[in-house]
Amino acid sequence: MKTRVLEEGQLDLLRNSSGLLYRMKDAQSASKMKGSDNQEKLVYQIIEDAGNKGIWTRDMRFKSNLPLTEVNKILKNLESKKLIKAVKSVAASKKKVYMLYNVQPDRSVTGGAWYSDQDFESEFVEVLNQQCFKFLQSKAEVARDSKQSPMIQRNSSFATSHEVWKYICELGISKVDLSMEDIETILNTLIYDGKVEMTIIAAKEGTVGSVDGQMKLFRGVNPIIQPTGLVKTPCGLCPVFDECHEGGEISPSRCIYMTEWLNF
Amino acid sequence: MTAQEARLCGLLLREHFGEVVEKIGTHLLRSGAQNLRTIVNESGTPIDLVKKSLCVLMKHGACRFSIGRKGPGSPVEYQASCERILGILRYPRYIYTAKTLYSDTGELIIEELLQRGHMTMSSIVKMVADRLTHNMEEGRSIEYNEVVSTFSKLVETHFLQRCPPVSEVVTGPPTPESFSDCYLVPSVSLAGRGKRRRSGEDVVLDQGTTKKAKTDLQTHGDEGIYWQVNFERFHLHFRDQTIISAVASKLDQTSSEIVRTMLRMSEVTTTPSASCTQALSANEVFRSLPANYSISRPILDQYLTLLVDDPMEFVGKTGDSGGGMYVVNLHKALTNLARATLESVVQEKFGSRSARIFRLLLRKRHLEQKQVEDFAMIPAKEAKDMLYTLMSENLVLLQELPKTPDHAPSRTFYLYTVNQLATARMLLQHCYKAVANLIDRRLFQTKESKRLLEKSQRIEAIMASLQASGAEPEQLTEVEEMISAPEKQQLESLRHHINKLDSAENQVDETIFLLKSYVASTARITR
Repeated sequence: MKTRVLEEGQLDLLRNSSGLLYRMKDAQSASKMKGSDNQEKLVYQIIEDAGNKGIWTRDMRFKSNLPLTEVNKILKNLESKKLIKAVKSVAASKKKVYMLYNVQPDRSVTGGAWYSDQDFESEFVEVLNQQCFKFLQSKAEVARDSKQSPMIQRNSSFATSHEVWKYICELGISKVDLSMEDIETILNTLIYDGKVEMTIIAAKEGTVGSVDGQMKLFRGVNPIIQPTGLVKTPCGLCPVFDECHEGGEISPSRCIYMTEWLNF
Repeated sequence: MTAQEARLCGLLLREHFGEVVEKIGTHLLRSGAQNLRTIVNESGTPIDLVKKSLCVLMKHGACRFSIGRKGPGSPVEYQASCERILGILRYPRYIYTAKTLYSDTGELIIEELLQRGHMTMSSIVKMVADRLTHNMEEGRSIEYNEVVSTFSKLVETHFLQRCPPVSEVVTGPPTPESFSDCYLVPSVSLAGRGKRRRSGEDVVLDQGTTKKAKTDLQTHGDEGIYWQVNFERFHLHFRDQTIISAVASKLDQTSSEIVRTMLRMSEVTTTPSASCTQALSANEVFRSLPANYSISRPILDQYLTLLVDDPMEFVGKTGDSGGGMYVVNLHKALTNLARATLESVVQEKFGSRSARIFRLLLRKRHLEQKQVEDFAMIPAKEAKDMLYTLMSENLVLLQELPKTPDHAPSRTFYLYTVNQLATARMLLQHCYKAVANLIDRRLFQTKESKRLLEKSQRIEAIMASLQASGAEPEQLTEVEEMISAPEKQQLESLRHHINKLDSAENQVDETIFLLKSYVASTARITR
């Protein structure tokens, strides 16, 4: 009796530590698999287990022990039945991972807010970069013009990551919803640009924007030196600097960059 | 001493002292310490020329002598100092600093001393007074006493120092500081005023000049006491200036004034090679602030706290006595300034995105390819391209971390990293090469237009003599028209080019100073 119910696809066979378990399949999923054979069911099971990260064809082969041609046939079959879908991974553009049709792909596969259709959105990042910087810079200027005591000036020029996140959301330049971590990665790139500095302060749990009892504060800064002397000469920027010798093909006497620079 | 430094030294020596001195100087630089015979034999110049060149070099401090290596009886050996010769590049900056601190008198004193190397005080004073009088209007002249007072001020602030006396027994020259009277101004009897040199009166004053020559030979009581410029002191001053301007641009004017006060107070108490100044209490700083910066005590405390909290760490707090003890972190400030210089070079040469990657690697030390892309938010292809470009210029290094003993590439971590000290040294050599290129170009342009320059000089001489002997305007215009208009334009553009090249040399010298101070300071710390 058990085998017949299994064959008709109405029961799931599972194993646990104490023996075999049988579980009733609900009617909907049972109807889905009608007409597919065991191998397909196996493949479907594996894809379901992979959750929202999806599974690659090679891993599929290992797990199901099926030959490549079989696996491909089954996958194509399932895709046409609209039970699974293929999602291109952003890390390796040729790699395809399979997941259930109605599952949202995980961030690591699609790349999160910065990727749209597997393309890194450079202009979007640039725009956000500039907007955040402008916000912080204007805040710093307001603080500087307020002419209060220096401590208050400095503290009021700081903005928490939460404030910046709210500002960006209100600007409405982003089609995608951005989380506070996304904004923090943008602010970090501003730090690496040397335009912004960050401090961390302890904040009470529950204050808006605090994560694990800390808050990150950002503020716009000025560079500490002007562009250095070497780059004001043509030699500092010359692409063939290493090949330049007196008496050679490229030499200071015949340097075309110098001629241009002198006639400027 | 590298090839670039040797090339630059040769160019500087040739420009300032001529070809013979250049030949001997570069020979000494390349071959190290040698005695007189060896120099004569190896360089192939006659012995009297070698002796004269060595005298010139020694008078300017570029060469020193020491006992021979084989023991007390062996001949004296001479050694050229590359750093001192490279210091010639910085002469305009020294003169300009003297001008800002002590106005024209100071400027001329320093200029005369730099040109002549060593001089007695009386001869400096007379020469400077004459020069100042020459530039002033008719009927006015400078008192010697004014020049003497400026001279004493320069000695008080240690910008000038006495040359150490040379002992009869050749043991080697002592350092100037070891001489106890190093900064003692001798009491000299100098009375008189500057004399104006008039070209037309030479004939008339012939009998007068013989009498004047006799009076000039009188001794002033300071024979044998020679003075030289104290370059170390100027370098400390430049370093302080750079730190103050960095604080001013990062924070604000008041903070930079506070840092300036702190540095001024520790000028005499801190040794030149210290990594931070002596600790100063907030009370002392408050008392020594300049009068026009009247800020209240609590505000001063706030500024000091802000300076301490700043990530650049210009100022540090070492204790709480006396209202808080503060030091200026000289080594950290130099490190930050050098890092800003490196970042600026990368930014100008390769673009702001490569600069972002460079700064990222400086902060995070070691990163993998994927992490660089993620942190910098640059697409993978472009990030790879930029990293490889930076690597080909040796600005970024690759560090391999094998996971398995067989170093298989698929099982190794490849980490990108930046080594600040090595990069700074490399950029320093680039700077030397750039300055040598600029000097080469300047000499080339002058040589190209030599004919034109000679012609214009002749015309000027004719004009001057015609004017002095009172010619009519037609003759003057006739002479002027000997230079055609396009030639005048060429001369103008040549002058403009040479000025531009000169100022570019000074700008690169600023970078050289910063990087060299950083490298020297790091070497002292790690010793």
